[in-house]
This record gives sequence, C-alpha cells and structure tokens, in this order.
Amino acid sequence: MASSYWDSTQRKFWTFTKQQLNLERKKLEESERNLVSMFPLPDRRLLSIYFYHQLSKMARPLGIRQQALATAQVYIRRFYTKVEIRRTNPALVLATALYLACKMEECPQHIRMILAEARHCWDVDTSFNDISKIGECEFTLISEMNSQLIVHHPYRSLAELQSQFQLIQEENALAWSIINDHYLTDLPLLHSPHQIAITAIVLAVVLKPTQGNLQPVQAAGVANALQTLGNARNGAAQGAQNRVQKLVDWLAESSVDMEAVVECTQELISLYEIWESYTDKTCKDQIAKFVKARGVDK
Amino acid sequence: MFSGYNTKKRVAERYRIVGFISSGTYGRVYKAEGKNGRIGEFAIKKFKPDKEGEVQYTGISQSAIREMALCTELEHPNVVHTVEIILEEKCIFIVFEYAEHDLLQIIHHHNQPQRQAIPAKTIRSILYQLLQGLVYLHRNWVMHRDLKPANIMVTSSGKVKIGDLGLARLYYKPIHSLFTGDKVVVTIWYRAPELLLGSRHYTPAVDLWAVGCIFAELLSLRPIFKGEEAKMDSKKTVPFQRNQMQKIVEIMGMPSKDRWPLLTAMPEYGQLSSLAAGNSRFQRPQGLEHWYRACLKSNNYPPGPSPDTPGEDGLSLLQQLLEYDPQKRLSAENALQHPYFTTHSKPSENCFEDSKIKYPVRRVSQDDNDIRSGSLPGTKRSGLPDDSLIGRPAKRLKEG
Repeated sequence: MASSYWDSTQRKFWTFTKQQLNLERKKLEESERNLVSMFPLPDRRLLSIYFYHQLSKMARPLGIRQQALATAQVYIRRFYTKVEIRRTNPALVLATALYLACKMEECPQHIRMILAEARHCWDVDTSFNDISKIGECEFTLISEMNSQLIVHHPYRSLAELQSQFQLIQEENALAWSIINDHYLTDLPLLHSPHQIAITAIVLAVVLKPTQGNLQPVQAAGVANALQTLGNARNGAAQGAQNRVQKLVDWLAESSVDMEAVVECTQELISLYEIWESYTDKTCKDQIAKFVKARGVDK
Repeated sequence: MFSGYNTKKRVAERYRIVGFISSGTYGRVYKAEGKNGRIGEFAIKKFKPDKEGEVQYTGISQSAIREMALCTELEHPNVVHTVEIILEEKCIFIVFEYAEHDLLQIIHHHNQPQRQAIPAKTIRSILYQLLQGLVYLHRNWVMHRDLKPANIMVTSSGKVKIGDLGLARLYYKPIHSLFTGDKVVVTIWYRAPELLLGSRHYTPAVDLWAVGCIFAELLSLRPIFKGEEAKMDSKKTVPFQRNQMQKIVEIMGMPSKDRWPLLTAMPEYGQLSSLAAGNSRFQRPQGLEHWYRACLKSNNYPPGPSPDTPGEDGLSLLQQLLEYDPQKRLSAENALQHPYFTTHSKPSENCFEDSKIKYPVRRVSQDDNDIRSGSLPGTKRSGLPDDSLIGRPAKRLKEG
C-alpha cells in the first residue's frame, strides 16, 4: 500500500473502534431525542442501500465511475456521524457528496448536471431546485469533515494484491463487488482499506466464483466461507482446496490480523442477511416524513 | 436547524490582518497576526469566488478543492504548514504558517544594488531542503506542477518550505490523462520539455526539471530559460511554446532520439525539426557545461573543490536534473544521494547558516488590508502584482 495511508487523515481522524463509533452516534441521537423518537428510521444498512441506489441513479447517466461513488458514500457516512440525519435533507446531502467526490476523484461534473440528475431521482417533496443549495451544502460537508477529503479505497490494495494471490478474473471481479458492498456497512470507518481488500480476496477465493455464475453474494455463502476458513486455519482442512490452504498459509505468515478478517466477514454476513428484507419504499417514505415535516428542503 | 451553512470559525475573531502580500488568479494572500490567544504570524490565502461579487453559492472550483484537501493531508517540515481552513460567508480562507522570505525575493536581493552571488552553502542547503519536501510529496503521490522561486518559501530561521499547492494533484493511476484535467501546467520558464512537446501522461519528473531550473537560477541569479509565452488563441487550443523550447535548445542542444527514445512519440515532435531549420545557434548550442562554467566564473565562485563553490558535483547534479528524457532524469530521492550533497558535510537545515547576508523582510502593503471587501466588483488592486518582480510571466492558466 502507498505509504500515505498510514499518515493519512483517514487513519488519524476517520477510523474508529466499534465502541467509539457507537458512542458518537449515541451522543448525536441523545442531542436530538425528540426528532429521533418522532421519526423512526430503518436500519442504517438499509438506508445505506437506499442511498446507494439513489447515488447510482444520479451517477449512471453522467457516466460517473465507481470510485467517485465510493468516495461519496464515505463522505455521507462520515457526515452522518457528525450531524443527525433527521436534521438534514438526505437528497441534498447525497447530491452534494457526489458533486464533491467527483471533484476529488478527478472526474468533475458541472453543478447543474448534478442538480438535474438529483431532481430526476427524488420526489418533489424531498427535492430542491437551486444550485446554490448544493453550493451551500458543500460548505457544510467540507466543514464537518474538516477539509479531510482524501479517501483511501481498498480498490488500490486489491489491484496490488491480485497478482500476488494470482486471482483469476472471476475472483477478482467478485472481490471487487464485495468491496463495493462494504460501503453499505460501517466497515469503511472501522478498518484500513488494506484489511478490507484482504477480506474481499479471501472471500472471493473461498466462494469460488465460476464463469457466468457471478450472482450476488448471499449471507449463507459467506457464512460457509467463514467456516471453511476456520477449518483451514485449524489445520482441519481435510478436503479444503489447495488454493484456500495456500491462502491461509500466506495469511498466517504475513502480519495480517485474522481476527479483523473474521470481523469484517461477519459484518458482511449481517449485511447480506438484512439485505433480504430491503424495500425501497420503506426508506423513501420514512425519509420523506421528516423532510416534509421539518421543511428542511426549503 | 439545517437551513443554511453556519460558520463555526470566523477569520476576524481569530486573526488580525496586518496587510496585503500578493494576489494571483486564485485570489489574494494577506499577512496576519493571531488574536485571542493565538500566537504568531500567518499568511492567509483568500480564494476569489468564481465570479467577482458573487452573492450566491456556486460550487467550489476543483483546484480549490484539491488545494484544501492536500493542505489538510500533508505534513512535512519542508512543506508549508497549513494551520486551518475557514469557510465563512461563501469564502474560503486557508491559514498557513508565515514565511518571511521566498526564493524569488532572495534572488532579487542578490541582484541589487549590484550582482552578488548567493553563497554556495546557502544554495546547497536550499536544494537539499527543497528536495526533501519533494521526496515527501512524490512518496505521497502528489505532483506539485508549479515549482518556481516564488513558490518556495524560506523562514527567517532558514527553513525551506514548498508552498502553493494550487496546481498540485494526486497522480496515482489517473483514469483520464493528466492533460485532460489541466491543459497548461507549470509557469513557462520552469516547464519541462515533455510538457512543451505536448506529453499527455507526464510524471513527477516535471517537478525535477523545475528544480533544475531553480538550481540554475540560484547560481546565475537569472532564469536559465527565459522564454516568451505564446498565448492561447481564441479557440483555446494550446499553442506550441516555440520560444521557450528555443531557449532550452540554445543551451542544451537539440534533444535526440538516442538520448530520449520516446522523443519521436511526442505530439509536438514535428514542431521540433521546424524549429531547428534555419537557426544557426542550434547547430552550435552553448552547452550546459559551458553555461555552468561561465556562470560560476562571472559570479566569482572560487575555482577548485571547496564548500564555497558548487564545483564539479554541482554541474553533474544540474546535468542530471536538466535531462531531456523524463525517464532518465533524476528522481527527488536519487537527487538527495548525489555527491553534491554527500561529499562534504551534510547540508545545513538552516540555509542561512554561516551567511552574513541580511535579507529584507517581506513587503506588506497597507492599501488593502480589508480581507472582507476582497470580492467587490471592480476593486482595483494597488498592492504588489503577482510575483512582485516585473518581467515575470503571468501565473499559469488553470483548468483547461
């Protein structure tokens, strides 16, 4: 990994332990107790899925690439550890995060294009109609993030490690999509990009994707993978494939924190589990409620 | 209520503006003192809104975003330290540590009232510190892209600090060629030949060419390749910088395919041969070695090896920095290993050590120290022009 991550603001200011993160969020909710009880919201992961869908809808017509989308997701997650979501208009925050992320990832989009796409994918109730809203929200976003805008992604580590592990094309694609999925969880605030990339590689190898069979990852599959991994680690890998064993040996010899890999995997399992209960509508409605009630878009 | 942006920090509550330092395409820089318990002197860069007199938020320019992000991220003794960034009333303020001098001002001082060479030890320390800052930037995948004397700060205690990251950017595996982002980078006199020849995918080696030019300028007290900039035409096509390329060739000789294998692949390669046609000086270029010896002589550096002359090691370093082929050019890291730095004692961390020269303090103008009124339409700037010395080319164009 580029040496820069270790001294980065991401590591110093935006990587938390689970306890720290929970504490921050609790503080935030307690400061807005009324709002929180008045407007219940779906599980954070479900909201993240909804946000991702909305971001993709904006990004697709503009040809915005995945890394900018990922950066926008990280900005949104960071922002909502500092500002209670019910005090904001998520439509505006999402559009602004995407606008800002595109500039940071060197694929800038005109603010008017972002506004136009944002208006396409949100209802009148939750939308906004002026570029100055995005411009102003940009100030808020940057200020809450203390201008710490450079985000290190696991994609780079994946690219660096794929040759070392001799990943086949399908495995690489699967690892890539697992990395995409991890932005729907708190993992970007909890672990280094390197750690995430290793988890994605381990899962990709154990899950054995075959050509034409690149289905969405399922919770059960990942849980099995974890089992396989556990067996291999305990040396009880009778019948475990050579590749997995090799990988496990490599992990054992390197300084990779296996507990962290297991932790990341569990986080992903619970994501895939809860994903099955996801509906667009619930998220949409519940967001619309507090946005309308509070008139935050006006 | 989340109905608008609320400033958490205010410039006026934290700083007292002492005066105006300079202005450029980006906005203006003020000198300030800390207030309310904040101690020390600062330089505050205020970004100009996209349109003068802008009353609405219109989105922050990409170059300002880059600069804010990089200034926040980077921390090195040889890179200007960013104290904080304040977003207030639709304006962006970056607060930097204050540096009393810069290389342009130092070079200027040695030209007046009559020419007097910069001590060899001072130059060696300046380059050493500059390269350490550059190693740090390049290790972090940051290309500066606008190194020139005016952007290299020097504190009163002789610490050299790379400043103005306004054109800097991360270059790790760019999706678009760097050319697509910014059509023109690096102030013309310090622009590397591969940029002049239209290279799309240039590398951090462009910064090392600029270091070579700065080294030469510290020695001779004049820009080594002082070309005239061809302006962009109305169609905004980037013109071939014929005159600048000529200045380089007059000293360095024509680049050749043998020494620079990818030369013929450069988009503007064809222009090069037309340049040579009918110019007799190209057949007999001065040669860098000849330029160097003449320079040392006219500036009275003593002959023979000693710490008081840059000597033969200096020539060799300069040759390897002003290398046509960007792949052969020294990297910042390798430059630090050059005998120029390693033969004698380690270069000082204070470039003024053993020097008796007293440099004047930075000029600060009182005409405009109202940091708030900066974006009023039609405000005439009566302070120093950008880069304070006349005859300097205008700052580069941003955002093609």
